[in-house]
Amino acid sequence: MRGEGENRTIAGPPASAGTARYLSVPAHPSSYGPTGRALCENSFLCTGRALGHPLGRGRLPARVHTMIRLEHLTKVYDGVRAVDDLTAEIPDGEIFGLLGPNGAGKSTTILMLVGLIEPTAGRCLINGLDTVRNPVSVKQQIGYMPEDVGFYATLSADENLAYFGALYGMDPGTCRERTDELLDLVGLDGVTKTVGGYSKGMRQRLGLAKALLNDPKVIVLDEPTANLDPRGVADYRKIITGVAHAGTTVVVSSHILEEVSRVSTMIGILSAGRLVAQGSWKDLAADLGRNTGAQVTIHVETCDPMPAFSHPDIIDVGYEADRCGAVIRARSDIRGAVAETLAHHQVRIRGLSLDGMTLEETFLSYYQAAG
Amino acid sequence: MAQGRLITVAKKELFDHLRSRKFLLIFGILLVVAIVGMIGGITEYNKALDNYNKHQSTIDSPLSSYIAEKPSILSVFASVATYLVFVGAILGIAMGFDLVSKEKESKSLKILLSHPVYRDEVINGKALGGIAALAGALFVVLFIALATLLVYGIVPDGSELILIGIFAAVSFLLIFSYFAIALFMSTAMDESGSALIYTIIVFIVLSVLVPTLANDTVMESVAGSQPEIPQELLDQMQRSVTNATEGNTFSVTVANKGGSGAWDEYNERVQAYWEKRQMVKDTFALFSPTMDYQSVTSAITATMTPGFVLSAGNGVATAFSVSSGEATSVEDIFGKILANLVALLLFPAVFFGLAYVRFMRLDVR
Repeated sequence: MRGEGENRTIAGPPASAGTARYLSVPAHPSSYGPTGRALCENSFLCTGRALGHPLGRGRLPARVHTMIRLEHLTKVYDGVRAVDDLTAEIPDGEIFGLLGPNGAGKSTTILMLVGLIEPTAGRCLINGLDTVRNPVSVKQQIGYMPEDVGFYATLSADENLAYFGALYGMDPGTCRERTDELLDLVGLDGVTKTVGGYSKGMRQRLGLAKALLNDPKVIVLDEPTANLDPRGVADYRKIITGVAHAGTTVVVSSHILEEVSRVSTMIGILSAGRLVAQGSWKDLAADLGRNTGAQVTIHVETCDPMPAFSHPDIIDVGYEADRCGAVIRARSDIRGAVAETLAHHQVRIRGLSLDGMTLEETFLSYYQAAG
Repeated sequence: MAQGRLITVAKKELFDHLRSRKFLLIFGILLVVAIVGMIGGITEYNKALDNYNKHQSTIDSPLSSYIAEKPSILSVFASVATYLVFVGAILGIAMGFDLVSKEKESKSLKILLSHPVYRDEVINGKALGGIAALAGALFVVLFIALATLLVYGIVPDGSELILIGIFAAVSFLLIFSYFAIALFMSTAMDESGSALIYTIIVFIVLSVLVPTLANDTVMESVAGSQPEIPQELLDQMQRSVTNATEGNTFSVTVANKGGSGAWDEYNERVQAYWEKRQMVKDTFALFSPTMDYQSVTSAITATMTPGFVLSAGNGVATAFSVSSGEATSVEDIFGKILANLVALLLFPAVFFGLAYVRFMRLDVR
């Protein structure tokens, strides 16, 4: 169901109307702290960054509208705090990757986000609406795909989507068109058998179609690529980046770090129910170096003698005897700065490689640092 | 909008039931037993009618003609009720035991509740879809039953049609009671298998254990022993046996005994005993939809008998009933079955209420 004359597209560049919607929404005045930075009260590791404007994707740095706001969100199950005082903000059009080990509280956070369980304390706002006080209005704006996505086994994909479309209040004609469009998009067009005969991967594809059915403002995906084949994963990436371009906010929970890093513009790391970090991968890695002493090693190979390097994140530099090679220990990935310095001195580069701080290491470092 | 979502859920549930193999199978069995029961009932009815006609044409004693009562068309439904009490309950259980638990198992509940629909709309829609399917099934059964009556040339009059309507309504309430119990179990349990097992346990308790308690040990301890017939009266009665029936059971009609003090005293004791028994039975019945249903259907379908009728084994009376000898009116029957009707209404309401509360508080993880 499209609202307010929107004409957003599923994939590809943002439609003008969709962008207009994105730009026209005023920022929530209380979304940011006095310095204009996002509030992040949970961790010493938290960067406090303004949660990344969607730059680099052809967008203007308009005032950022907070689409998802979690305020001191807490959930206690039988005395155990599954989610503990979680506060976070996710602006419009971001792809937010929620990471954490098993039992960190990812699924509980997501269930509260989509209004399936109520928080013990705190609240969760979607587009300014409380998920507990306005469950139906919130759900009208959300598309959700759980990890083990379940459908009605005796119905076909069309029939399942028609039922869910009716619950969204879509008229049958529009729903039919949208269903055809989405089934084509996820590669299930022409599949007539009932969902009971689907493979897990097919069910996941259908789950993605269902999550997009109501043209939502927020899409929440729990382990979206767990059962997909490589082609399915590629399709998924294309679709997700496409809808984010169109202004939809996406929350992806996954333990596949590589997958999250490929699509996410922001990362949130949960540990024992607490948000220990949020920001971009680059920011998180840099913060990690500054705050924990973790470091990366950059191997430089050149054909010419190297100049001296100067960068605040550099710990030390070890040169080869002929100065045609160097090993730089730094607190963050400064390969860009190194390459720039070499280019400035007209040094031909033979190789520039990085050791350490893979995505997994970054994640584990945060997790360990959080105790 | 809200009504639209409720109807959407109800429609989906209704079509799910109608397409479900288990529903179609049990519905088919229900149809077969209804038709077989009707044909058996009609055969018995025709025999009783022939006997009545024969009796009317040959008897000249006013007392004897008083005994032979014209059989009621409603008696045809007695055997249908015998089957329906079990098959109907099984149909209700089969339709309800996995309504919610299946969605929990298949994870579709999580998807469903992530849509803009209130939980009460979901549970009410499920109940409404089930009610519609049950009502539809029962309507077809009733339609075929009436058609069978007409095929055999039996045309019910207005009051009989009302009683048939009541019969259909209480049959629906019985099935809905077990449907509501199954729905509650389905909401309370995470697995359909557990929900089915617990529903069957409740079914056995309500349809076997409670009636057994009502008829035997508890009944004896509450109502006490049955008053014995004074020898003087027994001798008197044996002299006036008018019509021996099957086996060692006989019926006697005692008329104009008002002048005998012993008889009056015995009559009062027996009346008090049976009233007490009835009260205990009615109390137990309130906890068993099966007993309520049996009470109501036997009140509706019972062949009316005049005077005092004693069924006896080895000279000791084991059952006792009183009839005015005139056809019982719909109002009279309604008065007798009111408590059972209320209980049959309360049962599904209570269990549906429990299912509702449980579903509203369900933690979907």
